[in-house]
Amino acid sequence: MVKTTKGIAIPLNRVEGDLEIRVEVDNGSVVEAWSTGTMFRGFEMMMRGRGALDGLVVTPRICGICSITHLTAAVEALDAIAGAVPPDNARRLRNLALMTENMQSDVRQAILMFMVDFANQEAYREHPLGEEALKRYAPLEGRAAVEVIRETKRLVQVVGIIGGQWPHTSFMVPGGVTSMPEISKILQCRIITERFRSWYERSILGCPLERWHEVQSLSDLAIWLDEKKSHRESEVGFFIRFSKIAGLSSLGKGHNRFLSYGSFPLPENTAVRGHGGRLVRSGWADGTQVFEFDPSKITEDISHAWFEQGSEPRHPFESETKPYASGQSGRQYSWVKAPRYDGEAAETGPLAEMVIGGNPFFQEMVAQDGANIFARELARLVRPAYMLPYMKIWLDELLVERNSNFYNPVKRIPDGEGAGLIQAARGALGHWVKIEDERITHYQVITPTSWNGSPRDGRGVRGAWEEALIGTPVKDINNPVEAGHVIRSFDPCLVCAVHCLHKRI
Amino acid sequence: MKMDQTKTVYWLQGGGCGGDTFSFLSSEFPNVIELFRTLNLKLLWHPSLSNISPGSHESIVTGIVSGEQPLDILLVEGSVVCGPAGTGMFHTRDGQAKKELLFSLATKAKLVMAVGTCASYGGFGADDVIEAVGLQFAKKERGGFLGEDFVAGSGQPVINLAGCPCHHDVVVGAIISAASGVVFELDKYQRPLEWFGTTVHQGCTRNEYHEYRVEESDFGEVGCLFFHMGCAGPLVPGLCNKSLWNQQSSKTRAGVPCFGCTDPEFPRSTPFFQTPNIEGIPLSLPMGVNRAHYMVYKGMAAAAAPEHLKNRKLKV
Repeated sequence: MVKTTKGIAIPLNRVEGDLEIRVEVDNGSVVEAWSTGTMFRGFEMMMRGRGALDGLVVTPRICGICSITHLTAAVEALDAIAGAVPPDNARRLRNLALMTENMQSDVRQAILMFMVDFANQEAYREHPLGEEALKRYAPLEGRAAVEVIRETKRLVQVVGIIGGQWPHTSFMVPGGVTSMPEISKILQCRIITERFRSWYERSILGCPLERWHEVQSLSDLAIWLDEKKSHRESEVGFFIRFSKIAGLSSLGKGHNRFLSYGSFPLPENTAVRGHGGRLVRSGWADGTQVFEFDPSKITEDISHAWFEQGSEPRHPFESETKPYASGQSGRQYSWVKAPRYDGEAAETGPLAEMVIGGNPFFQEMVAQDGANIFARELARLVRPAYMLPYMKIWLDELLVERNSNFYNPVKRIPDGEGAGLIQAARGALGHWVKIEDERITHYQVITPTSWNGSPRDGRGVRGAWEEALIGTPVKDINNPVEAGHVIRSFDPCLVCAVHCLHKRI
Repeated sequence: MKMDQTKTVYWLQGGGCGGDTFSFLSSEFPNVIELFRTLNLKLLWHPSLSNISPGSHESIVTGIVSGEQPLDILLVEGSVVCGPAGTGMFHTRDGQAKKELLFSLATKAKLVMAVGTCASYGGFGADDVIEAVGLQFAKKERGGFLGEDFVAGSGQPVINLAGCPCHHDVVVGAIISAASGVVFELDKYQRPLEWFGTTVHQGCTRNEYHEYRVEESDFGEVGCLFFHMGCAGPLVPGLCNKSLWNQQSSKTRAGVPCFGCTDPEFPRSTPFFQTPNIEGIPLSLPMGVNRAHYMVYKGMAAAAAPEHLKNRKLKV
């Protein structure tokens, strides 16, 4: 995702300017932080007045790395308004495409956008594993970087087959999907997935998925790491060893509150089991204490964002997007609105899914150290290990059900409102839509990066990664790699750099 | 063709989604790694791929602007954000409008390529508060951000690699050509004819249905998507059905209409998935077609449609 915000905009990322972080450093560590989304794109404003189905074409363009994600949220909102129930095959095809996109994103983000900083020689020349990191992650040259570019472009062929192209297809429509791949193509998806799985096991994990699934605690992890050379040499093994020396599990704690909307609605007849009709569970967690998720508790606060002031925090069905570029002088400092759940700031992403979904290993990590860079990034790196088995099940079910329905006709989108709330690669994504006379009258998007990269709210409470930056050591003010790790552990859309450091001694 | 000398590449992000970058990364032959290695290209900067520190990046930018660091190819992804009121403050870098950096780099580069429809023509946001324009066009109007007289150091105007996203084979093909010193042959919207000399319709597996006007009126019916479903395949240039996406397929093959994303006016203002029409004949007809002749031709073609098409027995 890239930017969004409210407005449409999409907040963050890329270094040259879509995200800027300002911090105050005292005694070598961060004491204050402000996160600024520097680009406003106005997607929500451009949606008003468009055709009822146009969200399926326009919103995927919010983000080039997770366009299927926006398509999924957009179509679920329209399904809700139309009261449409997609057939099982449509559920399978939608889930397969979204899962594929999430996996390519997880692997690309971890290796190309997070671990690539381990190869930052200006920062890690002295790190005992710095030289090895360079061999693995140097841009366009490192062994792992080269492999990831090769394997992920092959993986997204699954979306190419199901949806016609990646990125930016619109094959999901209210009531289902636009076509059913031929048997040979479904088999090809299975082969692509199996090939990705073998590479993922060999290079990322260093062991079969099943062996990784046995890691249920921190002591299991220690045993796993010692067990074999292939475990230590894998990307997960290397990440663990490098992080330990760099002390990443003690950095980037944040609010330690988590949010997941849940994801992957299950077909009625499937071997896959989930929670409340979805594979990935929804919930809200304070530390490791998990509560039921209630979508009515979501609000957007604009007190510190560049929008016309005056309104109290509102639910996204009621909120507005009126940009007002007032510059750096007042209290407004970002194009990102501040989403809150029951008035609280929270982080979202793979770690939130693990904690809320009840993964004992990640729950133990959070119970012990709170959220941190190490736990967040490890959750992302190993999430495909928990998803790949479902890919196989749904593809096998599709082979059996090839001739069953994939679309229940929806002739007209009636007047009404609906929301599509899902888990994107980066966490909780919501589209809130109102339709009148087959036209869009209201469209609000809250991306995961809005949650994670939120500015302060009306109470002055920092956003998730602003909070996580507090206490982060800054060894070199011109190359603040530690602060970069904190931000990147949240996986801001694409990359981001921390610059504009303001020093106050 | 000189490929022995190292050439420098800088990839700038404007107001965009990064989709062109991820299309680029999906190139199979050559893949991105092979591309840079075999062409002896040096990537000075790409926001998603580079890992140099902010300080090092700043000195590269300063070097380019001062002329010390030669820049052979400038690739720009995303639109030029000019709002509000021409200030560009909806997209800033260190508090300055990002478009100022773009101007500095474009005037130093030997070749400037707009990657994707936003960079080429403004795309998303062209009609909205962000006042998005393309590098040398504002939708169909020449000029854009750099002005109609702009030429880069090589003497060529901005090369528009249209598409949302731009097809991976086009991005890679254009970089290979640029590195080899090819002078591009362009259409009136400055798209290279090499890749924009065919329509998306060419190679569509629904052509047989199109020919006999056997139409799809709802998703998944199997038929031509042009007459009711809003498909722009016969209206716009592109190679989606000639060079397949992700080496696999295209939207029309998967039952999704072409949205016309290589057109300077993309995204169109009329609803997607619908074809504006008069008496069942689309308002926008295939390039160069006479309406009266076309209506007669399609009427006769529909009458002549063979049974296996009428019964949707032909696979697509």
